[in-house]
Amino acid sequence: MVTSGRDAPRPVSAHAPVIVTSPPLLQVRGLVKRYGGHVVAVDRVDIEAYAGEVLGIVGESGSGKSTVLRLLNLEERPDAGEYFFDVPALAGRNLFTLDRMAQRRVRTFDIGIVYQNPHLGLRMRNTSSGNIAERLIVAGERAYRTLRLAAREALAASEFPLDRMDDPPVRLSGGMQQRVQLAKAIALKPKLLLLDEPTTGLDVSVQALVLDTLKRLQRETGVTTIIVSHDLGVIRMLADRVMVMRYGRVVEQGLTDQVLEDPQDAYTQQLVHAKL
Amino acid sequence: MSTVAELASSNRGYSYAFLDEFAKRELRRRILKAIAIPGYQVPYASRELPIARGWGTGGLQVTLALVGPDDVVKVIDQGADDSVNAANLRRFIARMAGADTTTDASRATLIQSRHRIPEERLQEHQTLVLQVPDPEPLRSVEHDISKARLMHAEADYGLLWLSLYEQLVRYRRVTLGASYPCLVHHRYVMSPSPIPRWDVPKLHQSAHLTLLSAGREKRLYAVPPYTDVRPLEFADVPFRVEDQRGWMCYRTGLQNKFMNELPQTGGGAIYEISDTGFVEKVLRKVPDREAAGSTPAQAAVGATYYDDEGRFYIDGYLR
Amino acid sequence: MYVAARGGESAIRNAERLYRDLVGAFDAETVHTIERAMPYLVDRVMGEGSLYAPELAALALAQSGGDLYEAVLMLRAFRSTQPRLAYARPVDASSMLVVRRISAAFKDIPGGQVLGPTLDYSHRLLQLEVLDRDAKAQDEEERSQAGEQEEDGEEAGMAGERSGVSNCNYPLVADWQRDAGLLPLLAVHPCPDASEIPDVTREPLLFPAPRAMRLQSLSRADTGGVLALGYANMRGYGAVHPTVNEVRLGYAEIEIAHPITNELFSIGRIRVTHAEVVTALKSASVGNGAQPDGDTKLHLELGFCATVGWNEVKTIAGAMLDLAMDLPDPHPSHTEEYVLYHTDPVESSGFCIHYKLPHYVTFGSELDVVRSVGEAKRVAGLGDYYGDGDHLVSGMPGTYSERPGAPLVPEGTAEQV
Repeated sequence: MVTSGRDAPRPVSAHAPVIVTSPPLLQVRGLVKRYGGHVVAVDRVDIEAYAGEVLGIVGESGSGKSTVLRLLNLEERPDAGEYFFDVPALAGRNLFTLDRMAQRRVRTFDIGIVYQNPHLGLRMRNTSSGNIAERLIVAGERAYRTLRLAAREALAASEFPLDRMDDPPVRLSGGMQQRVQLAKAIALKPKLLLLDEPTTGLDVSVQALVLDTLKRLQRETGVTTIIVSHDLGVIRMLADRVMVMRYGRVVEQGLTDQVLEDPQDAYTQQLVHAKL
Repeated sequence: MSTVAELASSNRGYSYAFLDEFAKRELRRRILKAIAIPGYQVPYASRELPIARGWGTGGLQVTLALVGPDDVVKVIDQGADDSVNAANLRRFIARMAGADTTTDASRATLIQSRHRIPEERLQEHQTLVLQVPDPEPLRSVEHDISKARLMHAEADYGLLWLSLYEQLVRYRRVTLGASYPCLVHHRYVMSPSPIPRWDVPKLHQSAHLTLLSAGREKRLYAVPPYTDVRPLEFADVPFRVEDQRGWMCYRTGLQNKFMNELPQTGGGAIYEISDTGFVEKVLRKVPDREAAGSTPAQAAVGATYYDDEGRFYIDGYLR
Repeated sequence: MYVAARGGESAIRNAERLYRDLVGAFDAETVHTIERAMPYLVDRVMGEGSLYAPELAALALAQSGGDLYEAVLMLRAFRSTQPRLAYARPVDASSMLVVRRISAAFKDIPGGQVLGPTLDYSHRLLQLEVLDRDAKAQDEEERSQAGEQEEDGEEAGMAGERSGVSNCNYPLVADWQRDAGLLPLLAVHPCPDASEIPDVTREPLLFPAPRAMRLQSLSRADTGGVLALGYANMRGYGAVHPTVNEVRLGYAEIEIAHPITNELFSIGRIRVTHAEVVTALKSASVGNGAQPDGDTKLHLELGFCATVGWNEVKTIAGAMLDLAMDLPDPHPSHTEEYVLYHTDPVESSGFCIHYKLPHYVTFGSELDVVRSVGEAKRVAGLGDYYGDGDHLVSGMPGTYSERPGAPLVPEGTAEQV
């Protein structure tokens, strides 16, 4: 099961060869998550993401990539690790050690997330617009018309048909549900957008349309984005940089083109070839 | 040699105000905690009383824990002093505590009420005990009590606001009738008990102490005097009390007090003021005046929360 | 008139008088007849009333004309007035004086199966001949029976009430299973001071409930309610399919310590029921996620319920719910809060009948909403179902700033509600 080279430290391009003028928006160090005592889902992972960049995380199911995303969204507590966010109010504070209410504020104001399964991200029986309004309500907005306007704007930005904005997600197609999630994620203009297999399970044609929307939105807003996918095509289309994960560890990382065209790690090679 | 049967207490005879002293002490402690944390639901070990659960046992336990022989007790059911349930509770309190009873809201020191607050403004020396069927304002959005308690702890009321938003989307207005959720002193959301929306503003910065108690659900909470109580309302969609404009009480000829609608055979309806104690005083006022000064002061109708034009006594509270 | 019921006090008196006329007069003899002739009914009232007082339970039944919920309420309300004078020593189930004990888990058990008094294997035929006897014969028979009962009344009433119960201690099936390694051994700790045990009648019930409070709640729960939820669970909505490990009916000696000499003495015997069910459950030592070794262990787990009085149905269903309440499956009977809140006889029946109280103020408030929603829709027109706030009934035009670029919620102004 364990490849011979797995435990040997190998030189990986730890930092992307880009000219960096400002500190990373997000810095995660030594992330560890175990389940049930002996299952290590995430093993000493470091992540850096710079303002405006799109970081892809690839790997097969069970590689720990979705766990990383849940940890970044502060849904679970890690067993070890530090998480810093370069915004004035949070400077120098490890987000993992904040109390529940402070973490909720970070999740409300600074992070947006789109899940593969819309049930995780949406209230399926409330109105679609209400799903977005709730986020603003939690943020303190108390004017009904402002809530309506914001929901309308966010849904329009994610190219959702506005004549259906008050339909509950349970009555929408899969593609539309993802657009509602996206609208909810960006409604408060977060610093960080997390995408967990956002198009997996959609029809190929719908998938392409949703990906177009994601790409356009990311370009327009410049939101720092971390996208998790097992689909190298999705990563190739969206990500500037990519991290390859296996057995909870990062086996290779670098610029997307570089890693996908010229993989160094044996597992990455296998992954890229399987795709072809 | 005495037998166990002789040593054991007799079956006959009840404690003062029915509850044993341990029960009263527990209740008083919980009441103090509730006053210290306005709007916070304090759990208590609700005792069974000789009236059915859900018929005001929560309010009654609080009343019995507070009542003394010098108290003057008024009991209201849906505004009425003379409904069977109010009469039953009043009879029980008087019998068990030896307290005086009244229908006059301004003469009472202790008022137990089901779903109404009197029209006359209550004063600092008065305590209002409201009976509560369901103390949990989050019940409609979260039926699990443990989760709801966590939401209160974190002031996590987004879901409740979302339900107001959805009502506005679907019906163009907030469709909550009685039990309109309120924010108490900028911290806890509470259910004011199923009082009509008309009565909700009366809790804001009130001179009197309000205790709310749910016997079946085993929770009590309080609105201490001079505490802010705000119904949940969007900045641009103000809270509205029941629209009874144009309704006139057939007994007193008054308007702008909370009315009961009495359907008439052959269609149509007539209206009467729901607060029967108030009606009684208004109707008695005329002969009292004629008696030229010989009437006791308590017969005078006191200042009301809403004036005859329907204006609430605190300017700007109702927009 | 009911709603207004003007002159409520006389209405109450009249209503009660009509009720008394219907139920008929009763005296101490009636009460004692009920106590003797309907021991299972008396036990049910005592169990749900959580007060062991056969005479008072029979009185409550006589006074309520046999309305169980009323009788239970009266007994509980009486209980509220009673101070707690002393704590009895815990009753050791193996020292119970057993008149009936059965186990479905084993063909034979140490000490043997004891059928004792039961109708389980009888034909449930109405004894119509009792009605056929003419009145005269009946009178005679009653007279002669009364004479017989003087001599061996204990056989007719609750078996063994006064007969020799000295030789009926039986070992617990669960103890044998523990010795055999089938069940984990009980942790050895000193018997807790009874005054330290949480008491559901004196402290609020919070969730997750201490085990003592859970068992106390089940013990005084509504038989029908426990049966309904337990039955739903047994029938397949639940995840457990237990076996009756042991049901025992008998007498427990209630002992208290003398306040001065500290010497234990018995204040009497009470009828008790004790039921245990057993099932095999997956060991939950490993959390979610795949287990690498794929090795799922099973262990036996007991569900327990006991109550004062003899009530087999409630304790068996209660013991099954005790097991079910720890399971994660979303069936309501797996939720402690759902089971314990909804099976209290006084609370559920009281709330049900409270709907008979006038609700005209609350209903008036609701009617106001219904009317104004109709009005709002009419104003807005039927085609435009959803509102953006332009047609709000209580809207305030002019407060809405339409600045698309402006931050929706300025940072720092956010308040939690």
